[in-house]
Amino acid sequence: MLEIKPIFNAMRRSKAGAIMLLIQIAITTAIVSNASFIIYDRVQYLQQETGYPEDEIFHFAVQTFGKDVDLSQQFELTETTLRNIPGVINAVAMQEIPLSGGGSASSFGINPTSDQGRQGREVRSAYTYGDEHALETMGVDLIEGRNFNQNEVIIAQNRDVLPTVAIVSKTFLEEIFPEGDGLGQTIYLGDMPLKIIGVVGKMMGPWLKDSRPDNLIVIPFVNAGVYQKVLVRADPEQRAQVMGQIEDILLKEYDQRVVVNLNGMDESKRRYNASDILMLRMLVVLITVLVLVTALGIFGLTVFNINKRTRQIGTRRALGARKSAIVRYFMVENGIICIAGLVIGSAAAVYMGTALLEHYSLPALDHSYIGMTAIFVLVVSLLSVLVPANRAANISPSVATRSI
Amino acid sequence: MLKMNNINKVYQTEKVQTHALRDFNLEVNEGEFIAVTGPSGSGKTTFLNIAGMLEPYTGGQYLLDDVDVGTLSDNKRADLRNQKIGFIFQGFNLIPDLNLYENVEVPLRYRGIKSAERRRRIEDCLEKVGLASRAKHLPQQLSGGQQQRVAIARALAGEPRFLLADEPTGNLDSLMARQVMELLEQINREGATIIMVTHDSELARRAPRNIQVVDGQLADFTLYQNRSADSVVELASGA
Repeated sequence: MLEIKPIFNAMRRSKAGAIMLLIQIAITTAIVSNASFIIYDRVQYLQQETGYPEDEIFHFAVQTFGKDVDLSQQFELTETTLRNIPGVINAVAMQEIPLSGGGSASSFGINPTSDQGRQGREVRSAYTYGDEHALETMGVDLIEGRNFNQNEVIIAQNRDVLPTVAIVSKTFLEEIFPEGDGLGQTIYLGDMPLKIIGVVGKMMGPWLKDSRPDNLIVIPFVNAGVYQKVLVRADPEQRAQVMGQIEDILLKEYDQRVVVNLNGMDESKRRYNASDILMLRMLVVLITVLVLVTALGIFGLTVFNINKRTRQIGTRRALGARKSAIVRYFMVENGIICIAGLVIGSAAAVYMGTALLEHYSLPALDHSYIGMTAIFVLVVSLLSVLVPANRAANISPSVATRSI
Repeated sequence: MLKMNNINKVYQTEKVQTHALRDFNLEVNEGEFIAVTGPSGSGKTTFLNIAGMLEPYTGGQYLLDDVDVGTLSDNKRADLRNQKIGFIFQGFNLIPDLNLYENVEVPLRYRGIKSAERRRRIEDCLEKVGLASRAKHLPQQLSGGQQQRVAIARALAGEPRFLLADEPTGNLDSLMARQVMELLEQINREGATIIMVTHDSELARRAPRNIQVVDGQLADFTLYQNRSADSVVELASGA
C-alpha cells in the first residue's frame, strides 16, 4: 500500500521544501539531458574516423632563407632524404596539412568559371598540393582509380604548366557527381581543368568543423615556397625518435633554413579541438556537480524531514507501521516530488534544446537523452532517500511517548 | 489478556546501568480500567512502552492474549500493536499535515483495511468523539481537548483489545481533562480495557483499579469497589 493520496495531501499542506526540491530536479533534468547530449555529440565528433593513421604522421614547416636554390627541386631532394631515414614510411612536401586547422578551400565546378560565370553544379572543397607520394604519406586508401604517375606531377616555381589531374575524397565525388559516374570526369578550379583519376574512401580536410569536413582534393603540383610544409609518415613506435632527428638531418642537407612547428598529426588535431575538449570537460564537471548537488539536496531534505518528524515517525510505528512502511513513506514522498520535477524538467529540456539549436547551432536534442536522464535522476533521487529513510525506519516507536 | 511475569528493563549506558523495571508482575483482565500512578522516573512510561510493545524488555515474560511478545519479530510486533492496541498520548501525537479524517485513517491503512470500511469506521469514531463535522480540519485548528478526542478516535478506529493512555489529560485544562476522562470511562463501559498512566491522583481515583509504580516495581494497588464484585478479578500482587 503506497499511501499516495495522504502523502500527496500532506505535501500540499506543507509545500515549501517540496517545491524547492522539485525545481532543483527540474533544472537538473533540463541541464543534464542537454549537456549529456552535447557531450555525446562532441565525443562522436572527437572520435570520428579521419581516414589518417594519426599516430604515424607528423608534420613540420621549413622556413628557407637561402636564395641559392630552386626551392621545388630542393624539396624533391629533401623528400628523398626524409624517406631514407630509418623508420620513415614516406614523406611529402604539401601545401596544407590535414586536420591542422589551416588550409585552402575553393569551389570546384563541373564547368570552368569563365564559362559565362560558371554554369552547373559547384561544390566547396579543401585542396592541397602533393606528389605521387602524398597518398601513402597520408596513409589513406585509394578505393577507385589510380595514384598519380611521375609525369603528372608538375614541379615548378611558376604556373606556366599546370596539373591536369586530381585525386578526390569519396564524399566530394558523390556530392559533385551524385549520379555515381565521377571517376574520369573533369572538374574545374577556376578555369583549371582537373580530371579525376582516383578516389580515396576517407580523407578529411584541414577543418573538422567545416560544413564539408570530408571534402579534400589532392592536386599533383610541387610549387615549394620559402615557408613550406612537409608531411612525414613513420612507424608509430619510431615516430618520436624520427621527429627528434629531423632538424639535424635537414640542416645537414642544406643549412640556409630553419625547421619550425614540428608536431604529430594527433597533437595538431588535439590543439585544433582544444576548445571542444575543454568544453567537454567542463560539461562533465557541470553534470557531476549538478547531480551531486541534487542528490545532496534530496538527502538533506529527507534528513531534515526525518529530524522534524521524529515523533511522527515514532507515532506511526506505535500505530502499527512496519519499518518497511516508513521507508516506503519517504520513498513515495520523494518519488512524487521527483516525478513532478522530471515532467517539468523534461519540458524544460525540450525548450532548452530548441533554444540551443536556434541560438548556438547545436544539433537538435535527441529526446531519448531526456528519457535516459530522467531515469538516471529518478534512480539517484531514490538512492539518496534510501539511506536516511532506513535511518528513519530505525527510530524507536517509544519516541511517541517521550516528553516534548 | 495481558500478563507480565518478572519483567525487567535495564538501560545500559557506557558506565551506568539503570533498572527502569525490576521483576515487574501484573495481570490485566478484559474490561478493566487501570490507572497507573507513581513519581517521575519511577518507570510508569517504561511499563506503558513495554505493555504497548514500543520497546523491548531485558528479562522476564510478557504474554498478550497468550502470545509471548518476546519471541516476536519486529514486523509481528508492529502488526500486533496495530491490531490489539490503541494508543493515546499526552501530546496527542496527531500528524499536523493530515486532516482529522486522515489522522484517524493512519492505523487502518497500516492494517490494509479497504477504503469503504475505513470510511465507515472513521466516521463512526469521529461521531463518537463528537467531531464528525470537523473531519476536514487540520489538528492545529482544534483545541487541545478536541485534539485529544481525535487521538482517542484514532485509537478506537482499529477496534483494539485495549487502550494504552499516557497522561491523556496532562496537556489539558481541568474542564477538557474531565471531558476526556468521561469519554474514556464511556469507552470502558462499552467494553474496552484501558490502562492509563497519570500524575493526577484525582483522575486516578476515578479508575476502578489503581496501581502504583515505585522504583520500577509495582508498589501497591488500590481497588475501588464502585463496580460489581464479580467484575473485580484477581489482581497481580505487588512487591
